[in-house]
Amino acid sequence: MIKNDSNDFRLYVKAHKKRALVNKLVTERDAVAKFVSDGDYVAYDFSSLTRGPQALIREIIRQKKCYLSICAKFTLAESSLLTGAGCVEKIDVGFLGTIPYINRAVESGKVKLEEWTNGSLSLRLTAGAYGIPFIATKAGLGTDTIRHSSAVISKNPFTNENVLLLPPLNPDVGLIHVQEADIYGNARVYGPTVSALETAMASKKTIVSCERIIDTSEFRKNPSATTIPAFCVDAVVHLPFGAWPGGTQGYYELDKEHFFKMSKITDDVHMNDYLEKWVYGFSSHFELLDYIGTESLAELVKQSTIIEGYR
Amino acid sequence: MNDYTDGEFLICRTARVIEDNSTVFVGFGLPQVSAMLAEMLYTPNMIQLFEFGAVGPQSMIPYLRGTMGGPSNCYRSVKWCSMTEAFSYAAAGYIDIGILGAVEIDRYGNINSTMLGNNYELPNARFPGSGGGSEVASYCWRTVITLKHEKRRFVEKLSFLTSPGYLSGGGSRESAGLPTGTGPYMVVTSEAIFDFETEDKQMRLIAVKKGRTVKDVTDEMGFVPKISGNVKAIEEPTKDELYTLRNLIDPYGMVSRGKG
Repeated sequence: MIKNDSNDFRLYVKAHKKRALVNKLVTERDAVAKFVSDGDYVAYDFSSLTRGPQALIREIIRQKKCYLSICAKFTLAESSLLTGAGCVEKIDVGFLGTIPYINRAVESGKVKLEEWTNGSLSLRLTAGAYGIPFIATKAGLGTDTIRHSSAVISKNPFTNENVLLLPPLNPDVGLIHVQEADIYGNARVYGPTVSALETAMASKKTIVSCERIIDTSEFRKNPSATTIPAFCVDAVVHLPFGAWPGGTQGYYELDKEHFFKMSKITDDVHMNDYLEKWVYGFSSHFELLDYIGTESLAELVKQSTIIEGYR
Repeated sequence: MNDYTDGEFLICRTARVIEDNSTVFVGFGLPQVSAMLAEMLYTPNMIQLFEFGAVGPQSMIPYLRGTMGGPSNCYRSVKWCSMTEAFSYAAAGYIDIGILGAVEIDRYGNINSTMLGNNYELPNARFPGSGGGSEVASYCWRTVITLKHEKRRFVEKLSFLTSPGYLSGGGSRESAGLPTGTGPYMVVTSEAIFDFETEDKQMRLIAVKKGRTVKDVTDEMGFVPKISGNVKAIEEPTKDELYTLRNLIDPYGMVSRGKG
């Protein structure tokens, strides 16, 4: 069940994560083709509503990646879209929502689940990021949730009290959408981070998409604002409106009308129609943006009136 | 005759459970709107926490369901952080109140938000799962559970125990290893209010909606709760509460009138 131990991950990092400042800027097509393989475990977070890596998720669907496992922690529509597209074999559940499609898919046995909680998946990523062999916690004790997970109830060797041991999570692929990055992968998240840094550090292959590319000297002017250092990152993709139909703080608001449309997907017929039109129907994110049109995009920018803390 | 919906009643009553100068872990939807109402009318110095990493936001009104981690919900936070950090405030004992909803609840305040049916692999109905509910229910000093008063929701045995209440009662919560002195504090429904007995930790009816009898309430439950010797009548939502909720916080009725 737990494929990698902390040594495996360290050895992978030693061999593959680039230390040199090399230009990692690529298209979403190249990033996904190179760094996402069939059977990979993929982690991402923040919701479909805010700063989620939606354009990268659509590219994974477009390239018909399959047998993926995903970490569904504080995410919403992605589980439905990836499952509906036949990309996903197994989901680690923190939270499954809010498109009814995913509930129906589980009820019909279409997708395998392992039960966790948002907090335990965050801790598992934290352990994966920090090189901690496992992490002990309390939340989860007494529940049925942990009986459907690979967590282990044990005794604290120092106090003899019950503790719950969680294995670290080191995903094959981490997807993170950020406001600003440089071409080497230094990245800034403004607003709540959920697990941006932990996911970037813990993943074997980390793809960052960003609203804008900034110069490296900007990071050196305000190091406190850096969320992710470049050596954790394997690819940088410049994807303005990359969280659409979600919003990105400081840039544009959620496309409520489109999200409402998505939230009505209940069955495979609806799902296929949606994917045909909004994912397979375009060869790239920029082609999709062309279709949405500058007027509609400008409206979402106009609605994004709160900028405090986001620039 | 009622001139408010069940949702409005729940929100207004839940808002009154929150105390000023307390820290409150807030779930989405109804708990969120209740916290907004409390902050506007009763508890201006409460500190809200959201699991994705917002500490102390003074969320913008009106409430919009789609905002979640977005700017209007996180407005004027004192800090933004990671999810691990957000839950750690609760784990370390800093959070007083957690507010949660439930698909099913049992007599010990255990919550199901995962699935219905006897077969986990092929559930009759699947729900979102824990989300952050298990953390909130495990770590906050007092958990407040809000739900619609329906017989099918109050069950002798849950299909799935997602978030812990008092487990099998007595000291079983502590024996399982959960933090001492925590657990369900109050259950607020669209018809009644319950607390929990100090020793055996069973749910106890302490108040019913004005115009309802104890029997009205217990008839709509799948188990018989303990009943206080002094069951009170719950005051109706005030004009102020309803005005604030309807005109300022939730004018579109997304939560209070189920139009989300």
